[in-house]
Amino acid sequence: MGTDTLDPVIHAPARLRIVATLAALPDGDSLSFTRLQDILDLTPGNLITHLRRLEDAGYLTSESTGNGRASRTTIALTHQGRAALDTYTEALRDLLGGF
Amino acid sequence: MRGTDDTDETATANDGDGLDPREAARLLARTKRDARRQFNISPPWITAFMGAVILLGYAALWLSTRGQHPYSGPSAGAIVLVYVTVAVAIAVSVKVYRRATAGVSGPALRKQKVEGAAILISYIGSPVIQGAMRHYGASHAIVYGVIPAAAPLIIVGTTVLGVAASNANRPQFITALAVVTAGIVALFVGPSGAWLAAGIGLFIGVVVYAAMTGKRFLLA
Repeated sequence: MGTDTLDPVIHAPARLRIVATLAALPDGDSLSFTRLQDILDLTPGNLITHLRRLEDAGYLTSESTGNGRASRTTIALTHQGRAALDTYTEALRDLLGGF
Repeated sequence: MRGTDDTDETATANDGDGLDPREAARLLARTKRDARRQFNISPPWITAFMGAVILLGYAALWLSTRGQHPYSGPSAGAIVLVYVTVAVAIAVSVKVYRRATAGVSGPALRKQKVEGAAILISYIGSPVIQGAMRHYGASHAIVYGVIPAAAPLIIVGTTVLGVAASNANRPQFITALAVVTAGIVALFVGPSGAWLAAGIGLFIGVVVYAAMTGKRFLLA
């Protein structure tokens, strides 16, 4: 089954889970790095790598506040990221004939 | 490395090549369902728990006042039972809310907190009216029966009604409407009957809410 129509940025297990998890939050809300890591059960290094890929594509934004132990990174899905997930979901539906 | 779908620390352009669309669809559906569960501040089990608390508390109040002539109010045992169940319900709700919103920030959460504060503040309305009624010499049946049973439902219910309307939240709106209606009914059925009407109305409201949100959760 061809996957050419599926967005390669989202069509990877870890990134698909990241985008789908962030999309469950109301538009504009963000999630801390630690909570996202806890939910997805990914290592920090793995999560950072995938987040960077999604951020480079403009699908999410990250913001860091504080220094040292008090530092906190939050991640939010952008409108573009939400739209990309919708398009990806539609493309999957078309491929599978509705799921 | 803990359980993860990707076993290496790098993400390349081709790392989704081996992912079958069917598997992707299953993964997407599962992740959405899990995420909704993670961020849900009123999961079905807590709604069921609240229903049980309401049933227990109001049944105790009604049973302890049933057949009183003249009306003297709920027994000390019933009041203690209500306070304990309410305290447990609040503690459980706070724990669930904190777990669901841990690490979450943003405008929607801030709005939710303001709405929560408005609802909490509206709880003050009933004891204030009760105090005023007592000040003006209203009967025991009114001050310790009809008002504490009916007023919270009407005051808090209308606040929730407004919140639900502004959010276009249909299940919450219907539930609040049922609760306000029960409060109005409770005003006219006597001091002991007021506890029964309030308890039944609240329980029905919770059951309707659980049914509507549960169905929405399964269909989403």
